[in-house]
Amino acid sequence: MKVLAAGVVPLLLVLHWKHGAGSPLPITPDNATCATRHPCQSNVMDQIRNQLVQLNSSANALFVLYYTAQGEPFPSNLDKLCRPDVTDFPPFHANGTEKARLVELYRIVAYLGASLGNITRDQKVLNPNARSLHCKLNSTSDTMRGLLSNVLCHLCSKYHVANVDVAYGPDTSNKDAFQKKKLGCQLLGKYKQVIKVVAQAF
Amino acid sequence: MAVFAVFQTTFLLALLSWRTYQSEALSEPLPLTPESLKVSINSTQQCLHLQWSVHSLAYHQELKMVFQIEISRFNTSNVIWVENYSTTVKWKQVLHWNWESELPLECATHFVRIRSMVDNARIPEPRSWSSWSSWEEVDERNSLGHGALFVFPKDKLVEEGSSVTICSISRSYQNNVSCLLEGVQMRGEQLDPNVSAFHLNNVPFIRETGTNIFCTTGRGDGTGTVLFVSKVLEEPRDFSCETPDFKTLHCTWDPGSDTGLPKRQPSQSYTLFESFSGKKILCEHKNWCNWQVAQDSQEMYNFTLTTENYLRKRGVNILFNLTHRVRPMTPFNVVFKNISDTNATMTWQVHSIGNYSTLFCQIELHGEGKVIQHNVSIKVNGNYLLSELEPDTQYMAQVRCGDANHFWKWSEWIGKNFSTLEAAPSEAPDVWRNVKSEPGYQTVTLFWKPLSKSHANEKILFYNVVIENLDEPSKLQLHSIPAPANGTKLTLDQCSYQIHVTANNSVGTSPASVIVVSGDTGNKVEEERVNVTEDGFSMSWKPQPGDVTGYVVEWCDHPRDLPCDLQWEKLGPNTTSTVISSDAFIPGVRYNFRIYGISTKRIAYLLEQKTGYSQELAPSDNPQVVMSNLTSHSFTLSWKDYSTESQPGFIRGYHVYLKSKEGECHPGFEKAILPDDSVSCKYKIYNPEQKTFVVENLQPESFYEFFVTPYTSVGEGPLDAFTKVTTPDEHSHLLIRIILPTVFCVLLIMIICYLNSQWMKEKCYPDIPDPYKSSVLSLIKSKENPRLTIMSVKDCIPDAIEVINKPEGSKIQFLGSRNSLTDTEITQPAYLYLLPTEKNSSGPGPCICFENFTYNQAASNSGCCGHVPVPPEAPSQLGLLTSPENLLKVLENNYMNSLGEIPAGETTLNYVSQLVLPLSRDKDSLQTDPPVPALCSEYKMQMAIPLGLASPPPNEKSSVSSVTLLDQGEPHH
Repeated sequence: MKVLAAGVVPLLLVLHWKHGAGSPLPITPDNATCATRHPCQSNVMDQIRNQLVQLNSSANALFVLYYTAQGEPFPSNLDKLCRPDVTDFPPFHANGTEKARLVELYRIVAYLGASLGNITRDQKVLNPNARSLHCKLNSTSDTMRGLLSNVLCHLCSKYHVANVDVAYGPDTSNKDAFQKKKLGCQLLGKYKQVIKVVAQAF
Repeated sequence: MAVFAVFQTTFLLALLSWRTYQSEALSEPLPLTPESLKVSINSTQQCLHLQWSVHSLAYHQELKMVFQIEISRFNTSNVIWVENYSTTVKWKQVLHWNWESELPLECATHFVRIRSMVDNARIPEPRSWSSWSSWEEVDERNSLGHGALFVFPKDKLVEEGSSVTICSISRSYQNNVSCLLEGVQMRGEQLDPNVSAFHLNNVPFIRETGTNIFCTTGRGDGTGTVLFVSKVLEEPRDFSCETPDFKTLHCTWDPGSDTGLPKRQPSQSYTLFESFSGKKILCEHKNWCNWQVAQDSQEMYNFTLTTENYLRKRGVNILFNLTHRVRPMTPFNVVFKNISDTNATMTWQVHSIGNYSTLFCQIELHGEGKVIQHNVSIKVNGNYLLSELEPDTQYMAQVRCGDANHFWKWSEWIGKNFSTLEAAPSEAPDVWRNVKSEPGYQTVTLFWKPLSKSHANEKILFYNVVIENLDEPSKLQLHSIPAPANGTKLTLDQCSYQIHVTANNSVGTSPASVIVVSGDTGNKVEEERVNVTEDGFSMSWKPQPGDVTGYVVEWCDHPRDLPCDLQWEKLGPNTTSTVISSDAFIPGVRYNFRIYGISTKRIAYLLEQKTGYSQELAPSDNPQVVMSNLTSHSFTLSWKDYSTESQPGFIRGYHVYLKSKEGECHPGFEKAILPDDSVSCKYKIYNPEQKTFVVENLQPESFYEFFVTPYTSVGEGPLDAFTKVTTPDEHSHLLIRIILPTVFCVLLIMIICYLNSQWMKEKCYPDIPDPYKSSVLSLIKSKENPRLTIMSVKDCIPDAIEVINKPEGSKIQFLGSRNSLTDTEITQPAYLYLLPTEKNSSGPGPCICFENFTYNQAASNSGCCGHVPVPPEAPSQLGLLTSPENLLKVLENNYMNSLGEIPAGETTLNYVSQLVLPLSRDKDSLQTDPPVPALCSEYKMQMAIPLGLASPPPNEKSSVSSVTLLDQGEPHH
């Protein structure tokens, strides 16, 4: 039995952490225990709204900064290179319940957080001197992490949801430079589009 | 059976041995076909990698062979490359060969085959190729995955200026792929229905982060690739090595462009290799490297500097003798000793470069804006005496050294500042004066120039001015003027004075500058014009007979200002010309120069005066012209207030412009076109002192315009507005000559008349004598009738009313009249005789005359009744008379009053007024001839008429008859 546990658990862990290969996992059952390290702030929902507003207000600037830093042909071919066609992007339903919206928000933020990490990593290689872009990407990632924490805290404290199954975008590490630039541009275009809807929904 | 087996084995071994022998000893060609050919793709380097082996080789056999490799693209018949590869093949050796494709290998299927031939000199020609291996196919397109369009190569690293082929693979046959490089369309070539190639020649370096190439099919998304273009690796320039101490070699070079690309290619590396010692080091810096000199007294060094990056490798070589590459280290411990006002000793030390080496050092002295170099050879410690320095001056001295035996390069400079000591001023100040003589005294203004730093030797604190009266040598005055004053003003009497001026600093006093002023006002000389050259004002003067110690030229830099900034230049006794230049000289300003001679007694006397302009300009303004003496044919212009001295150039004359309607120019004038393109007549006045001009030959009653402007050698003054003038009528002056005296005479007569009005009145209009005071009265009174009565004007009864019909047909009608006045003759005034005529009056009586409102002169002249001018009260009376009743009433009242005023006993006398009554006529004549009315303005002597001649006194009845007459409405004349 020990041997079985010793062999299966790491295997499961490896499968779970495989980048971009994970399929959405079910929400924690209602009867599962949910514990947070610290109690949520009483105004956590306000903080979530503020963070969404902040992200929404800076999304377009980040998008512009990104495609400008890539050089031609990106600024002049946004429709072909930066079209927000991200097929596996988590859905969001603005008319759902608050819990459903928060769960969908969690998935979106988790997806975006991972994608922003990839973009930041790629841009440090492709555009090492684009300091303002790096700064903006890092700032957005930081806000995204805070938002993810707040959403999770709120889900846990109010709706007792301790774990939400998430999916991630494709790994770009093995892509060529042009594909990295293009995927990043598409993702940020999608992000700009989605964050506006999400911010309005809350 | 066993025997057979043994025999068979033996036979086979023998056969094998024989074959081997044949192969080696007889050198027969062997069919060594390449086998196990494998082809793979290295996408990063765009290489086809081949590996194969030759199985037929014997054990430990080595054979030189030639392999022919054929490469086809898309299909086997499309051979794109054939190459022979020679190598020595060993037993069981796996052979490798690479081929770099220009076209990215992902874009096309490639086929490879190989054959071989033994390349052995012992084998006689002709040698034969082995059979071809089978075609090996490599196709990467099957592993591209999903996607509509692919572009290769991916992330290729190339050098700037190289050629690259980009290819695209489209999944659709219909798509026409186009690719852009930084927005510029690339020219493509269709290699296959799905494959296009784009050739890029001379790839530019655009940015370190790569050049984007974007391809699209025109539908849907596009894709692309990034080309990483690096700078071309350059050969290191100026590679050299030198030693400061025979212990280390310091090698430097110019690396050129950095070929590094962030995260793609590091900067090029540099390796130093010395061939004699065989040592090699990797340099940490891109432009220098240190090499430790071996202790084995190696003199010759052969260095190879190699640089390389991912794409290229370059090298450069130098060979030298170490002793010829010595560059000493920077000297140290520089010290200045024994500093005086003019000297200083500089000492320094150098690092040793050998026991017997000699150094050659160079010293540079910077000070007073100059650089002086000195050279000296030293062993270890150096020292040098810096002499002929200026007192109280800061200097900077620096030193550097080189190897005196085999000079290679100087060391770095090392320098230090020092200052020489102070000293008394070494020269007398340059002093000049300006003397103004006034009655009884003279004002002497002294000027001096500050001493140059080389002469002041320290900061000047004050100037001493000692005044010595030459007439009374015992009288000395001392004035101490604090610096930085550059002059002082002295008031002296008319005696001669010798003035000593010295400059003083903290150390001492300068030599004295001496000038002498005398009470003599000096002579006056003619002013001349000075020549101007590019260098300045060039002037010369006549050499003075006798002893002259020198000359002084004096002028003002700013002659228009006060003070005018007096300048002077002292010249030697043999100099009779100079050129004066100053940065202060500006065009258009007149500068005056005075040339003085200095006598042996140091008295300055004026020799010449000169004036001139550094550059003449056209006049900046025009004179104020006054016009006078305007006649019908001429007028005079004058501008006497115009100063020719203060102009921006020498005034050479004036231009008088005259415009007339006719446009014709008078004699002496010439046609000229003005700056505003208008045409005018111009008269030139060549004398600048002629400031009047008479414009003649003008037409009477004509309009002229004139304008006067001065001119210099450069041009004339600005074009101002013309002054307009119109000549008067030709006879106007005659009229004036007549009218004025006439008016004067009339006025004189009037004045005389006024003054003698009493006399005139007596002569022309004597007072009407008062009848009561008449002497006749007294005469009559005494003889006939003591009760004489004087006729009153009121007693005069007009005898007719003149009625003049208005032309417009006035409708005024009199009371009781049957016919309107419009029916009557308009031109004839209507008179109503109020006195009885032949028909209805009993006798002559006083006439009564009424005046009509519309009385006019014509009527009065034509009427028989003399008119009495309307008295001041006439309007009111006339106003009342407009009504017939009023009229009758007035008449009645007047008449009754006149009767009433006559006393009862006096009715025997009647008075006729305003009528000329011929005294010679009797009563009848009066009746038949109506009395001719005299002019009403005429008064006749009134007199009493005897009762018998007088008309019967008017009574009430006659008054009634008059009224009745009016009632009848009969017109009367």
